[in-house]
Amino acid sequence: MSRRSYSRHIPDFRLMTFFAEDGKSVVHRMNPWTKAALLAIVILMAIIMDDLILLAVLYLSVLAFYAAGRLPIRLLVGWYTLPVFFVVTIAILLIFTEPGDPLASIEILGKRIAITDAGLMLLVTLLVRALAVVTLSLALFMTTRYSHMAYMVSRILPRPLANIFLLSYRFNFETSDEISDVVDAVHSRNGNMVRGAAKQTRLFAGIFGLSFVHAFERAERIAKAMESRGFSGEFPNVEKLTKPSHYGYLLVSLAILALVIITYSRYVSDLIGWW
Amino acid sequence: MAHVHLEDGAFTIEWVVIWTLIAVALIAIALYRLGGYAIPTRKLAVAAMCVAVGFAIFQIEIPVFGGVHINLTPLIGILVGPSLGSLAVLVINMFGAAIGHGGWGMIGANSIVNIVEVFLGFFIYRHLRCSWNASRFFSAFSATAVALTVSAFVALVIISISGIQGSTQGGEQTFANLLIMAAANIATGLVEAVVTGYIVSFIGKIRSDLLEMAEGEKRPETAETSQEVGTVV
Repeated sequence: MSRRSYSRHIPDFRLMTFFAEDGKSVVHRMNPWTKAALLAIVILMAIIMDDLILLAVLYLSVLAFYAAGRLPIRLLVGWYTLPVFFVVTIAILLIFTEPGDPLASIEILGKRIAITDAGLMLLVTLLVRALAVVTLSLALFMTTRYSHMAYMVSRILPRPLANIFLLSYRFNFETSDEISDVVDAVHSRNGNMVRGAAKQTRLFAGIFGLSFVHAFERAERIAKAMESRGFSGEFPNVEKLTKPSHYGYLLVSLAILALVIITYSRYVSDLIGWW
Repeated sequence: MAHVHLEDGAFTIEWVVIWTLIAVALIAIALYRLGGYAIPTRKLAVAAMCVAVGFAIFQIEIPVFGGVHINLTPLIGILVGPSLGSLAVLVINMFGAAIGHGGWGMIGANSIVNIVEVFLGFFIYRHLRCSWNASRFFSAFSATAVALTVSAFVALVIISISGIQGSTQGGEQTFANLLIMAAANIATGLVEAVVTGYIVSFIGKIRSDLLEMAEGEKRPETAETSQEVGTVV
């Protein structure tokens, strides 16, 4: 984790970019269009698949892809905190109320509640789905250079959204550095010793408020600089992306075939019910 | 966490498509109101900065009640208005999806919830400031508290209508079960409301022109300037 990161459970954008720009693995060399297509297919698979074993296979395949990119597994585990938190927040009450065989029970205020097998299965299935997509998404962003990402974004999104995305991608680093500097300054002056929710809240509100004011001032300067250099509403792409290789097309075709079979099995007729 | 974001796989594909189409319609309206492809450069830069600050602030944990992360979407609405704010929250959701803070397939549903926050944040603040002449802190606090409360229920309604994939429970039962989640979000949202109140008061003191859009008219600036505050910090 870089010095700038202030949370172990939120991916550090600077570290992700470091891996993307400096990595030399086979996944780094893969065509970005191929990786983006695989991400789209895995998202659809995670939504459509309902068999836990197949979902586990999908997750392990994605994890192998992540590891092939020589990306840090230990950090990934910490970064799972956020998606796990969101899934558990939604599913925690359903594991007690989903009809099924009780696995364990506790008594709260004279009322006995039980975790059911179906409820637990629901939680695990949602977790595996979410983690499969998160892992591949992180792998894509940690193995694709900014110039390639910029080219893909400018081709996929409508121009105004692409411009906001690309500008904010770069602003992220400056802004988080600035906020980190202020938080460092607060800590070095014993700011972390401030007691009381009201004082802490006001202290951090000052930091955030100043960040917004500086951000607006910087945005105004940047806008003037862009206009003075003849910005016509579109960022020029320095580096264009080539088409995927034959292997890339083959990989994406196989993934699409798997997606079609999974979709057919779920909605039309079960082709993979041999489990 | 004042916002719950849905992860991929929570909804079936039909509902993913439906919520995505609704979000696309809302974003299209926002783009149309901003002038389509001819959005002024300053607005683009301001929206991008709001995304960057919102995303960076989300990474800082406020050490109250065991640690709270906030997104400040109602504040973005107050500062840049509902149209530009809608584009900003969409891009924040894209960055969020990249790191697992909400799913890629759920960008539509998550954006609808955030657009509600931006929209209500802006209009309630504007109403309280312009019609009731309320203080900046009270207006921002109330606007954020109401926006986050309503958005917690919007999230609840979206989840109840769509149903959690794999669950056998009906909409009403899911709604009842997830009420506790909404209550927890509303409680955390109050922390964000207090923070937003302080931030708006702070901005009002040093750069009140940034609140012009939400306050309707240019209010007299205080003696302090942003330069002086910058020197102090």
